[in-house]
Amino acid sequence: MAFANTVYNAFFRRNSVYVSTIFAGAFAFGIGFDVAVTTFYDRWNAGKQWQDIRHKYVEQE
Amino acid sequence: MASVRAVKKAVTIAPTVRTLSSGVPVAPLLNLAARDLSAEHGHGSAARSDAPARFASGVSRNSPIGIVSKTFANAPTTTHYTPRLIHTSAVVKDASDVPDFSPYRADNTSNNRAFSYFMVGSLGLLSASVAKSTVTEFLKTMSASADVLALAKVEVELGNIPEGKNVIIKWRGKPVFIRHRTQAEVEEARTSEWKAFRDPQSDEERTKKPEWLVMLGVCTHLGCVPIGEAGDYGGWFCPCHGSHYDISGRIRKGPAPLNLEVPAYEFNELEGKLVIG
Repeated sequence: MAFANTVYNAFFRRNSVYVSTIFAGAFAFGIGFDVAVTTFYDRWNAGKQWQDIRHKYVEQE
Repeated sequence: MASVRAVKKAVTIAPTVRTLSSGVPVAPLLNLAARDLSAEHGHGSAARSDAPARFASGVSRNSPIGIVSKTFANAPTTTHYTPRLIHTSAVVKDASDVPDFSPYRADNTSNNRAFSYFMVGSLGLLSASVAKSTVTEFLKTMSASADVLALAKVEVELGNIPEGKNVIIKWRGKPVFIRHRTQAEVEEARTSEWKAFRDPQSDEERTKKPEWLVMLGVCTHLGCVPIGEAGDYGGWFCPCHGSHYDISGRIRKGPAPLNLEVPAYEFNELEGKLVIG
């Protein structure tokens, strides 16, 4: 109850704060989503990508 | 004899199911409080129906025996039956057909309010990120792809080009002339009276290092590729329409209007390379 009121007063009461929070959250969500999907993709395809087998073909300079 | 005989008929009033506490039967459509028109005894419309008439009550001063106060002993009649019941039964609701939803109502609405705003905001957040990625992914399709970017620059090993030789390389689909000029050619290019040329440009403007001449091998007339070490001025000669370029790539004779174009290039001193692009 107190938490709900705190959240309401902090974010929802003013529309400017509400919309700003939504946009900032969208920005953070976009980054987090990209990182999560990339991590999952690399783990799913571990050992198959060029970054995993590069050391076999490119000698160190 | 035809005569009209009044038919006596007994009129029976329907029995009522309830009587008031005073013993009067309940007759809903019968107004027991109605008065006849002579209730005001002809005293005019000024008489108030809710107050006793003047003759029945009040103080009279012009009496022969002094002030006389008259009252009437009858209590004023009530015009509406207003029962005052003493009971403990349930309160009658205004609209008794509507169910009572109070057990289903939230005790406190702040949780619901915060939850509703949270859900609306979450949908807005997802929509905003979807819109943003849609726009950015669309704009990415307009930018150059990786293979185009890889072709955008060309590296040339300068140590392989001997003095006095031309090299033609392909850069962005066009030929590029690289000339390792001899000292005599540099002298010739720098001492010529370039201000009188058709497209006046000094050799210092066209080269970053005197011995290296880098320019696009496209004739500025109609886009043919000139031939190196040919022409009247020891530079390039366009076989299509006979334009002569000198050892600095400047137009000296023929139909071409401009000097051969110089692309953006840099020298990589450490590795001895020329980077075009």
